Amino acid sequence: MNCIDFRRAALLDPRRLDDEALAHAGSCESCGAYLAEALALEGRLDDALQVPVPPGLKDRAFRRAVDATRVSRRQALAAGIALALGAGTALLWRRNDPLALAGIDFVVFEEAQAILDAKPADPADLQRAALDVGVRLPGQLGELRYVGTCPFSGTTAHHVVLKTAYGKATLLLLPGRTLASRGVAVAHGLEAVVAPARGGSVAIIADSSRSLARIEEILGSA
Amino acid sequence: MPVSGRNAAYERAVNDHFNDLYRFAYWLCRNRWQAEDVVQEALLRAWRGWPALRDERAVKAWLFTIVHHEFRRAGPRAARTDAATDPDDLAFSIDPASSVDVGRALRELSEDSREALLMQVLGGFSCAEISSALGTTQGAVMTRLTRARQALRRRLDPSDAKQVRRA
Repeated sequence: MNCIDFRRAALLDPRRLDDEALAHAGSCESCGAYLAEALALEGRLDDALQVPVPPGLKDRAFRRAVDATRVSRRQALAAGIALALGAGTALLWRRNDPLALAGIDFVVFEEAQAILDAKPADPADLQRAALDVGVRLPGQLGELRYVGTCPFSGTTAHHVVLKTAYGKATLLLLPGRTLASRGVAVAHGLEAVVAPARGGSVAIIADSSRSLARIEEILGSA
Repeated sequence: MPVSGRNAAYERAVNDHFNDLYRFAYWLCRNRWQAEDVVQEALLRAWRGWPALRDERAVKAWLFTIVHHEFRRAGPRAARTDAATDPDDLAFSIDPASSVDVGRALRELSEDSREALLMQVLGGFSCAEISSALGTTQGAVMTRLTRARQALRRRLDPSDAKQVRRA
């Protein structure tokens, strides 16, 4: 390891240097001093980040979450009565769609690994896949941050990560995966919609319904 | 999971990670009141999403991700109005002046760089975990971390810090 490589590693995380980097710091006076300064800065950073947590906030946040569910249960009971009166279709409509929910699970639990494991993808392949599915991906969707393919729900999905005006969003293009109707899901602080397209379907996962609606609108109007 | 078991597991996770989650929210929002809103809303979402959590070992990263989503969702509501000059918001530190300087330097970082640095320092996450939470590539996270530390080094001359400590 040379001094440049060492300093790159130290800027990335001076507290998690590998043996080779530590050995270099031990044998190079300049890099040893650099590491000492970097660790001192980390100590100052640690100190500064430890802002006091407002007293009682943890308990308030915990109770609010748990109590909200109790309110939800009362609401569910009321909804059950309404169901008996003939409003059941509204509840069925709210149920998480399994494919949309799988899209959220993919983003939360698998997306990072999929990005790490993926080989560089050709954007032209993505455009071809979009044509196969029957959608277009206009620039107004946002900035393409990642394009690749990955296994998803028993098929191969074309995986797109976008930076939109409303935040990060994930698209999964599913050629050949036909759907009878649109489905939605909400979980893990994310929302998802799966929509049928001419040659398959599209899953959109984002952290707000506003973002989802905007992307769906753009895809629909393209 | 039965509700009582879910309640206990959730409470344990909140107890274990709440301080870091609040501090993460605080430094994202740069404002105590907005951070309180963000972290409370995030915990409500976490509670609702708890039954779908597959791997409780990953709960810390999951909670940080929800806080980050909630911060982004809050958008203009979580306006970055710097309120850290409030003495109540100063970190517990043997060197408060240093904490003020570091806090100021943190606020001057780009949002992308600050988010990555906070996840690494407060959460102890790897680049892969940070890239997952922020929805970007591992390479981008490495770039953000490097830029963040370069900027902090430029802003906070370490030789000054040594002199302060000696004094």
